[in-house]
Amino acid sequence: MSAAASPVQILRRIASQEAMLAVAIIGLAIVVGFVNPRFLSANNLSDLLLGNAYIAVAAIGMSMVIVSGNIDISVGALIGVLATVSGSLAVAGYPIAFAWGAPLVIGIAVMAAQGAVVAYLGIPSIVVTLGMWSILKGGLISVTGGRWITDLPNSFHLADVEVFGVLPMPVLIMVGATILAAIWMRFWPGGRAIYAAGGNPEAARLCGVSPRRTTIFVFAAHGFFAGIAALMFATQLRVIQSTTPAGLELVVITASVVGGVSILGGVGTVIGSTLAAVLLAEIASALVFINVSPYWTHAVQGSLILATVIADILRRRRRLGAA
Amino acid sequence: MNRYLKRHETILAAILIVALIGLGYLNDQFLTLDNLLNQGRLMTEIGLIALPMTFVIVTGGIDLSVGAIVGLCAIVLGVAWKNWGLPLPLAVVVALGVGALAGFCNGLVITRLKAPPLIVTIATLALYRGLAEGISKARSVRGYPDWFYVLGQGEVFGVPTQLWILGACIVIAGVALDRTSFGRTLYAIGANETAARFSALAVDRAKLIVYTLSGLMSGLSAFVLVSRVTTTRSDMGLGYELDVIAAVVLGGASIFGGAGTVWGTVIGLVMIQLLKNGLALTGVKGDATIIVIGVVLIASVLIASSLERRRE
Amino acid sequence: MSEAGPPRLEVRDIEKSFPGVRALSGVSYDVHAGEVHALMGENGAGKSTLIKIMSGVVQPDKGAILIDGLESRLAGPDDARRAGIATIYQELLLFPELTVAENIFLGHAPKGRFGRIDLSAMRERARALIASLDIDELDADETVGRLSVGNRQRVEILRALSHDARVLIMDEPTAALTETDVRRLFDIVRRLRARGVGVVYISHRMDEIFEISDRVTVLRDGAFIGTRQTRETNSGELVEMMVGRRIEALFPKVEAPLGEAVLEARDLVAKPMTRGVSVTVRAGEIVGLAGLVGSGRSELAQTLFGVTPAESGEIRLNGELVSIRSPAEGRALGVAYVPEDRGTQGLVRAMSVKHNFSLAGLNRLTWLGFIDRAAELKLARDAVKQFDVKTSSLDEAAGRLSGGNQQKIVLGKWLANKPRLLILDEPTRGIDVGAKAEIHRLMGVLVREGVAILMISSELPEVLGMSDRVLVMREGRIVAELPRAEATPSAVGAAMMGDLSGRGQAA
Repeated sequence: MSAAASPVQILRRIASQEAMLAVAIIGLAIVVGFVNPRFLSANNLSDLLLGNAYIAVAAIGMSMVIVSGNIDISVGALIGVLATVSGSLAVAGYPIAFAWGAPLVIGIAVMAAQGAVVAYLGIPSIVVTLGMWSILKGGLISVTGGRWITDLPNSFHLADVEVFGVLPMPVLIMVGATILAAIWMRFWPGGRAIYAAGGNPEAARLCGVSPRRTTIFVFAAHGFFAGIAALMFATQLRVIQSTTPAGLELVVITASVVGGVSILGGVGTVIGSTLAAVLLAEIASALVFINVSPYWTHAVQGSLILATVIADILRRRRRLGAA
Repeated sequence: MNRYLKRHETILAAILIVALIGLGYLNDQFLTLDNLLNQGRLMTEIGLIALPMTFVIVTGGIDLSVGAIVGLCAIVLGVAWKNWGLPLPLAVVVALGVGALAGFCNGLVITRLKAPPLIVTIATLALYRGLAEGISKARSVRGYPDWFYVLGQGEVFGVPTQLWILGACIVIAGVALDRTSFGRTLYAIGANETAARFSALAVDRAKLIVYTLSGLMSGLSAFVLVSRVTTTRSDMGLGYELDVIAAVVLGGASIFGGAGTVWGTVIGLVMIQLLKNGLALTGVKGDATIIVIGVVLIASVLIASSLERRRE
Repeated sequence: MSEAGPPRLEVRDIEKSFPGVRALSGVSYDVHAGEVHALMGENGAGKSTLIKIMSGVVQPDKGAILIDGLESRLAGPDDARRAGIATIYQELLLFPELTVAENIFLGHAPKGRFGRIDLSAMRERARALIASLDIDELDADETVGRLSVGNRQRVEILRALSHDARVLIMDEPTAALTETDVRRLFDIVRRLRARGVGVVYISHRMDEIFEISDRVTVLRDGAFIGTRQTRETNSGELVEMMVGRRIEALFPKVEAPLGEAVLEARDLVAKPMTRGVSVTVRAGEIVGLAGLVGSGRSELAQTLFGVTPAESGEIRLNGELVSIRSPAEGRALGVAYVPEDRGTQGLVRAMSVKHNFSLAGLNRLTWLGFIDRAAELKLARDAVKQFDVKTSSLDEAAGRLSGGNQQKIVLGKWLANKPRLLILDEPTRGIDVGAKAEIHRLMGVLVREGVAILMISSELPEVLGMSDRVLVMREGRIVAELPRAEATPSAVGAAMMGDLSGRGQAA
């Protein structure tokens, strides 16, 4: 009985989802770079990361929601709404800090409301978030009337900022948020409570963890990260469209699930979901460079999530049967 | 349970009548035969899918991939005809077959792996939509022969063709759910799957059938849609699952399973369509009407669950 | 040795009723520090209600709870935990995806700066706890989902200790354990006792009671029967207390002519609970199947019916070799199974009485898939009359009826199929005396019609009163077969508990 991990545990850590994702990212880069070296150009890689970092951030909140045993399919619409709100405030002349802060507050409020309905009224999260998705989507169109937002002030573009002249802000936010969230979920009682509530609500209650409060909290956190993601998304563009990015929630969910978050609850890390988000973006770009029509991107992502789900269910059933 | 539902349906029907009268009063274009028949034409695509979705929800499951299957079947229809050179009728059959196969795969994973339907159909939603996009590569197919449009744009005895088909399907589905042992099996599965198995009911086979039907009717809906809008695009069916589930839930089906009827779903379907129409006639833009669907969905589930609580 | 002073935990004159059932009447029980006090009784005797009251999950209607001699109130499980009472249930409440250390300390982990969990301190404390019970092979960093049942139970015990539990309630702890794990568990229990923990030990198993406990209390039908010092009593006395001597005329035994063998099962194996079982039941015969909870009786029934098909062995019905791979096949062959848990397995509570009656026989009520509603109505009406089901209407939701009437519906729906082999699993559990008598009377009518009945029951008087032959199961095998004349309470009780070594005799 040693203080260090046993060989078997080390082996398991190596074979963990996170490690496999890291290997896949590097491996794919090498393979595609071999076929088409321009894939590995600094320009391409940085575009890839910068353009998709916001998905990883949104996946942080989504991972928390799924680990707690719920799901959300409204986040794509919410990000669209928050981006428009942010841009509109900037164009209307409000202080930039306000334009950046408002999406965070609104994001938290909208998501927390959904969480409350799920937790206290017992409505399945799929139904609540499905309804909210349409409310947000339709709301955005009717309020903007289809107009795009142009004339954004220069100071708005947070995403263009390069910290210390080198580190692009989106990457900094993505890495920073992931690390902070991962630490919190690993080392803070609040974070462990999410795993408990998602893993076995009955047992969680006996340990003093309230599944209901955990649900509301998790949705609120999800709203916060959605707000940050919306900021990253909005501040990269010169114009903000009046539609919500199509299929965004599906990509975010895919990132979480492929990242190792089990849809049955109680398992998964945000490091995994961030790595998966990077991998998904890499795949999308890779398809172009190896001359496969980019229209197959979603099909590849779809097969990935289906395969991961099936593998996860098989693994769980096997374990339940063995014990 | 049945008595409660009948009450739910009568209340719904009453609201429907009031809404009809109200909207007719606010807008004189509304209550014209032309408009109503046209609404019937427009609601067929959702209506066809709402029928098997009622079955699925009654068993306590859900199918989020229906919209993606519509897109996939629409694309297969176009591609099979234009690119693979199949005669159009055969292409239609192939498209329907693909829909049934997609639904069958859903059902297979759900029954063999005992996987939660929510998860499986979210994953297949991604896969099927992705396949549709990949196969079509954003090209649309046009130029179908005239006879092809009879289904989507034609009329029989003054009533739009697809409405006849929807009507027939409604009758078949309603009778099946109400009066056959298959329908009874579905209710038993939704109310208590374990007891259903212990009562020697063919639970897995019934589930497999309803998911396959869901896919098949999505394919049929795609056929009607393509015929109506004269083109095929890979983003067809986007968001259908919202309308379909809203119609079923509004119609009184419990999201937890064990309750719901086809007649209720039809009322829900009609109400939603009329709501959309009424809004459009008063100048609200098409896209914005989905707000209402979302509100209706959440509101009906809220009301249903608080009534449920009051009854206990 | 137990210490002097007031008991760690005491309950006095507890009364508790649920709708229609008197669970506990005038029960007193206590446990001192450093003692193992066993609690025995048949199913339905009131043990689980008593446990729930002691762990704060349920509140008594009358009676007092005293902790260390002071009268207290346990308004909920949190109060019990704070009072140092920990319960280990049969279904372990663990987090399979978290580590051993996390499971032990979830909710009360040692904290460091800024409220952050001190992981290394947590793991240290977990290892210390593991070592204190001298458990070798438990690794604080192992994922609980990968552990064997025995080890998972140890994690639960450690969790209780981490809360400084001074009273540990263990509900049938050895039900799912291997022999070795049972030995190990006893070691742990002895250590806990030496440390001054009071252990409430609920079990059926006579040999365990005599090995590990200091005192034993017997409950029967919700009443307190008596407490004995373990070394001053023997298994015969305990069985008598549990079962009582009354085999009343509640079960007028009906003589029926015995016919050919309807069921002949040989060497049936279905892992993990059926380990080679052979059973024969003749037409007109009632074979009682006795055994403790977890002995594999329901599993055997479900194998015979097709829910969990046999992996090896053969089944013959009326001499013909058959294979039963699904309930539908079982039904087609004339087998009917009335399940143990009528709420989750027997009835669809939300469905009407009428629909429940037809549920198992829909295939015979349909023409081209359509249900013959007139025939269904007639079936339900006749059944309600025949079984005297008290319901306000045929459309009433079945879940609203009383337990006895619900059981009649489950029975009725299967009898509508005119089965030749009827398997009853705890047919009169939790129902009132009147309905019980009716069901027994019904069984008499059936055997006279030539039906073969296999009756699983945990109520010894019922088994002894109704059966022509009594089979006793233990750990997946038939360990005894007693014809009616030889089936006495002590003989059957002894076979059930496995007390074949005479160990339970007074010193």
